Amino acid sequence: MTEIIHNLMLGFGVALKPLYLFYCLVGVLLGTLVGVLPGIGALATIAMLLPVTFSLPPEASLIMLAGIYYGAQYGGSTTSILVNIPGEAACVVTCIEGYQMARQGRAGPALSIAALASFFAGSIATGIIVLFGPPLTEVALKFGQAEYFSLMLLGLVGAVVLAHGSLLKAFAMVFLGLLFGLVGTDVYSGITRYNFGTRELFDGIGFVPPAIGLFGFAEIIANMEQKETVEVFTTKVRKMMPSRTDFQASWKAILRGTALGSFLGILPGGGALLSSFVSYTLEKKIAADPARFGKGAIEGVAGPEAANNAGAQTSFIPMLTLGIPGNAVMALMVGAMMIQGIVPGPGVMTERPELFWGLIASMWVGNLLLVVLNLPLIGIWIRLLTIPYRLLFPAILLFCCIGTYSVNNSTFDVLMATGFGLLGYLFRKFDCEPAPLILGFILGPMLEENLRRAMLLSRGDPTVFLTRPISLGILLTAVFLLLLTVLPVIQRTRGVVFKE
Amino acid sequence: MKKCILSIASLALSCLFVALSVSGVLALDYPNKPIRIIVPFAPGGPNDVVARLVAEKLTESWKQQVMVDNKPGADGAIGMELAAKAAPDGYTIILGTSGSVIVTPSLYTKLRYDPVKDFAPITHLTTTPIVLLVNPALPVRSVKELIALAKTKPGQFSYASPSSIFYLVGEMFKLRAGVDVAYIPYKGGAPSMTALISGEVAMLYDTILTVVPQVKAGKARAIAICSAKRSPVMPDVPTMLESGLSDFEASSFSALLAPAKTPPEIVQKLNTEIVRILHMPVVQERLSKMGADIVGSTPAEFSTHIKAELEKYARVIKAAGIPRIK
Repeated sequence: MTEIIHNLMLGFGVALKPLYLFYCLVGVLLGTLVGVLPGIGALATIAMLLPVTFSLPPEASLIMLAGIYYGAQYGGSTTSILVNIPGEAACVVTCIEGYQMARQGRAGPALSIAALASFFAGSIATGIIVLFGPPLTEVALKFGQAEYFSLMLLGLVGAVVLAHGSLLKAFAMVFLGLLFGLVGTDVYSGITRYNFGTRELFDGIGFVPPAIGLFGFAEIIANMEQKETVEVFTTKVRKMMPSRTDFQASWKAILRGTALGSFLGILPGGGALLSSFVSYTLEKKIAADPARFGKGAIEGVAGPEAANNAGAQTSFIPMLTLGIPGNAVMALMVGAMMIQGIVPGPGVMTERPELFWGLIASMWVGNLLLVVLNLPLIGIWIRLLTIPYRLLFPAILLFCCIGTYSVNNSTFDVLMATGFGLLGYLFRKFDCEPAPLILGFILGPMLEENLRRAMLLSRGDPTVFLTRPISLGILLTAVFLLLLTVLPVIQRTRGVVFKE
Repeated sequence: MKKCILSIASLALSCLFVALSVSGVLALDYPNKPIRIIVPFAPGGPNDVVARLVAEKLTESWKQQVMVDNKPGADGAIGMELAAKAAPDGYTIILGTSGSVIVTPSLYTKLRYDPVKDFAPITHLTTTPIVLLVNPALPVRSVKELIALAKTKPGQFSYASPSSIFYLVGEMFKLRAGVDVAYIPYKGGAPSMTALISGEVAMLYDTILTVVPQVKAGKARAIAICSAKRSPVMPDVPTMLESGLSDFEASSFSALLAPAKTPPEIVQKLNTEIVRILHMPVVQERLSKMGADIVGSTPAEFSTHIKAELEKYARVIKAAGIPRIK
């Protein structure tokens, strides 16, 4: 215990030094900005700033880059709520409820709850890193390919729950997403699938073009169609802070989201991503009145926001304790460390404690800075909505294009996003929702990769998913969830039949 | 009269000079605009770091902006294709790696670039040794013990490969050692290292940089290094040759290449300057911290190296019956 306190003192001693505090501020500001702008994400920004970190001391560069990462999570919820464009994969769920709340004139409470939930989750997650960091990596290591497969399957079942319309259409969208996810190269044989000979599709479609296209471009096209001025909700915005009822509805969701995110974030490879989806699924399933979901239920913002911020923080754990990056952003952080001549690995904790603990302490400081900055800024963001749409949407379009381009320096990606935009517009006409498609799209390839690898490792024995206890547990949860979703539909139809 | 001849002569000379510089033959004023180094991988990787280091020092010494342009995708093929088709004026060069220059062309038949015909090698920057790791729970401490164990349980062990070059190295090991272990591909160093540490796979091949921290922490055991000589970073690890395997040498290189028709003077100028940079103490220090051995060879030497590597892996592919992908 005293050791932990000693380490924390060391950490805060580093994090609160004026120079590092300054870089933390720069990082979180930049991160928020980048998150707020639709299209440009943390990944692109960190990549662009990597060369700058050459000349900075290692603690400063890591603190700044980390600030950009979780700052972008804060900012990403802003665009999700205000303009229904997810800045990061984890923000897709926030779009669902948050945007509906904005349409009802409740953008202020939505943004505030998102910020407060994120801060709470971030603080708890930082505490978890401090107390349980190294032991948690042991748990993460127990997750093998079979467990990941089952987890992805659970996520897919959850995807159907994300829909608040027709169940059949939700299934269809998930499967369409799975199909889009097939495009690319098969990991094992190296054979290219559905890329029609183009080099650009060799690695698959990528997350950003479909997200920007289906959510961003489609939304803009659909809005163009409306003859009268778009969205009266800009004038109805009154309160900025959540009401008492809002808090009461949200606090449990925040706790659950934090727990989920903290755990799922540790799992290397897609853990933090899944946390917001699973949180939303959970909230919808245990809500007293699930019909509110899809129409602006505040738990649907509070839970996932807490989950994704907690996940973002805990995703540092495998990188800091094992030197193994859990996602693309962590891989860039590894690059930043290597530029400084520090080779990330289990030794960093003991060889450079001021770096390790300083970074962790700065994460809490950064969270504090973010909530202090963001709450007042909410007023400004809301005023952004009062800008006439004809001026707003070209700016959004521009940023989306820049963001899409900046991921791979590829104009092909921008063209793909446009294609998805047209597709998204068609979907709107048919009343099909894009969120299940995106989830199917993200999870599908991971599902396949883990399935095949699990089978390779077990030499073709399919019972491996049932014999490994964690995998079995997750699969049972998935079956349970599926039954929960399907049974009411069956009962209703039976009820109708019996009536007649 | 004299004035006339003098002015005509100077005019002619200056025309000649301009013509020659424009055609690049003189290369006297190269570089006079920014130079682009294409890195066919996402930023942050070890090869990207090397490229950025070189770019930084070149910018300092030539007073011209030398920048890194990341064009990831298709195992390096997208970047290589771009470079192959770029204008051969010395203002676009590419960072090539074993993966993009040797392995991808060896495994795929219909690529739009040829590693030998479409490129003029500038220099071989660094060589990073590849290490064979085993999970520490496995009761083997040397290659001989590993081979013996694998032979008693054919098909039971698996090796992880973060990317295709390690696949070829792994197959080469199987051929030379005569063992049957299963190949499990992973997308990158991180998931494959996780798999090794958790015991999902028994063996892993990776470059020395990623390997050292795990070995130091006892999470993995290094039993052999695939280069010709032992590495000063891990002096206790024997080479494959020392462990009894003949004709076994594999490493990962990073290098700079230019489009094929770049004038040889410009290539030479680049080579001279980059080799000088590679021998700067600060660069040496940074690179050796990453486990990379600096080479800095001449274009001709590197060209020979490329051809030798291509041949070596072609033989492995044929002997192991690895299917080439269209």
